[in-house]
Amino acid sequence: MFVITPAMVGQVVISGLLAGALYAMVALGLGLIFGVMRVLNVAHGSLLMLGAYTTFWLFHWFGLNPYLSLLVSMPALFVVGVVLQSLLVRRVVDAPELSSLLLMFGVGIALVNLTQLAFTSDLRSVEYLTGSFVLGPFAFSKSRVIACAFAIVITAGAFWFLQKTRLGKALRAVSQSREVAQVCGVNVQRIHMLAFGLASALAAAGGTLVAVMVAIQPEMGQVYTFKSFLVIVLGGAGNYPGALVGGLLLGLVEQLSSLFLTTQVNEAVAYVLLVLVLLVRPTGLFKGRAS
Amino acid sequence: MKRWFFAGLVVTLAALALYPMQGTGYGVRTVLQLFMWIALAQSWNLISGLTGYVSFGHVAFFGMGAYTAGILVTKLGWPWLLACLAGGVMAMVLALVIGWPCFRLKGPYFAIAMLGLNEVLRVIVSYFEGLTGGGSGLSMPTLLHASVPIYYAMGLTALLVTGLTYIIITSRFGLRLMTIREDEVAAEAMGIDTFRYKLYAFLLSAAGPGIVGGLAARDQGYIEPMSVFPLITTITMIVMVLFGGKGTIWGPVLGAVLLFTFQEIVWARFIYLHQLFFGGIIVAVVLLMPRGILGVLQQKYNLPRTI
Repeated sequence: MFVITPAMVGQVVISGLLAGALYAMVALGLGLIFGVMRVLNVAHGSLLMLGAYTTFWLFHWFGLNPYLSLLVSMPALFVVGVVLQSLLVRRVVDAPELSSLLLMFGVGIALVNLTQLAFTSDLRSVEYLTGSFVLGPFAFSKSRVIACAFAIVITAGAFWFLQKTRLGKALRAVSQSREVAQVCGVNVQRIHMLAFGLASALAAAGGTLVAVMVAIQPEMGQVYTFKSFLVIVLGGAGNYPGALVGGLLLGLVEQLSSLFLTTQVNEAVAYVLLVLVLLVRPTGLFKGRAS
Repeated sequence: MKRWFFAGLVVTLAALALYPMQGTGYGVRTVLQLFMWIALAQSWNLISGLTGYVSFGHVAFFGMGAYTAGILVTKLGWPWLLACLAGGVMAMVLALVIGWPCFRLKGPYFAIAMLGLNEVLRVIVSYFEGLTGGGSGLSMPTLLHASVPIYYAMGLTALLVTGLTYIIITSRFGLRLMTIREDEVAAEAMGIDTFRYKLYAFLLSAAGPGIVGGLAARDQGYIEPMSVFPLITTITMIVMVLFGGKGTIWGPVLGAVLLFTFQEIVWARFIYLHQLFFGGIIVAVVLLMPRGILGVLQQKYNLPRTI
């Protein structure tokens, strides 16, 4: 019979936290856009996918270290985000939710299809870091540990920006009340662009970090859109630190479910968790705002 | 005007009813698919067009119907028509199970929950291999010349769903749904039990895709998880409804006819650009023509909402 030892549980818990830090970073982007302009960016995963491709091609053509490509993918997607916001999203911010949701959905599939046209649907991978760190009874794949470290640093950077800088404070002010922020002299349009840019950069960072771990293909992003959404629901929409806890929780639940059930049902377990949480606490586990 | 419209409608229906006697196998199959898209688009319209709650996973009901019918036909030897009706019933059961928690959610929460539902069903279907054949799928015994009965069944389903939309839009029930779409808080303040009405609309909206899924499965004779839960089917429903005019009676039909024809004639040659076209149309319609073709006409000529 299959026996579950404490060491295995420990391994799974740590793996879960490693994955969770990454989820939290990606979801923070989705949460920022949702918090600031009440737009659920269902193209978030497609932006992540673009980040992954950026890393792949830089690695493939120039042999650039995948982690160094963060310096390219994040600014590049920041620009993409700002452009998307100023060309398209701006027009639907005040429209019913349906409009922005469908708009981003359309943008998302167009991006996926363009990527397919440009690079085909072939699975690609960045063969950079393989092997694991072994620590007593535990073993962790190197790429996951490093991804987690980067995710923590980038998330911390984002929080520092939100908490300490003038622009970050303005951004949080807009997410609390657009009208009041405007009256206080905040340029709301600019903050919206900033939020979209930042969110896209966070998605790009996620794409770069997962590029080393998973197969890269045009439709890889969709699952991250769903997971990010789950994370901000768990954490409470509009509650930015909540996203952090939500991400870790999702990582844990996924890894534990693959220990006790099978890896196949990962997604189903995450979904059941989503529905249960929404059922019990529509505002998320921590104090968030109902939509 | 009204009289001409109904005369045209009757002539069209009669022509479609007689078509299989003259039509070639290919022609019948093509019209059958058009019926399928009309029924699917119209069903999406029932929930998303009327209440404003976007269902991103409507194909889940289609898949549910396909698998219900497939399993009943292959494992229990049910006649296909009955199995397809059972598919509709099971889709409604699924809608109830998922609608109960999910309609406590607002706007975007609901949309993503539905997207997740579809992905999860695909995982579940692949997982229970004994019942569903897993990744290798289910084959149904083939009937020669089955297209014609399925043609009528599909046509009838499209007609019934459109009729249902007509009844709903012209009823107090429909008015309540549209009130929810315009302002849910106000609707509640007026004493409308929004949760209950959304759930009713959702159940009605699930029945059509369930039956259609069963019929499509019967028509193709083979189903597997990737082919019955594709996101692109949901996208197609959405684009058809947006294009024709959401929340109207004839918008989804118009959208389905236009898009399907366009697809058959033009896009078949640019198969790789398919999704790009869809994405582009969604963006363009949302930004330039949010009410769709009929919505624009309604506004311009001050037509009643019952078109």
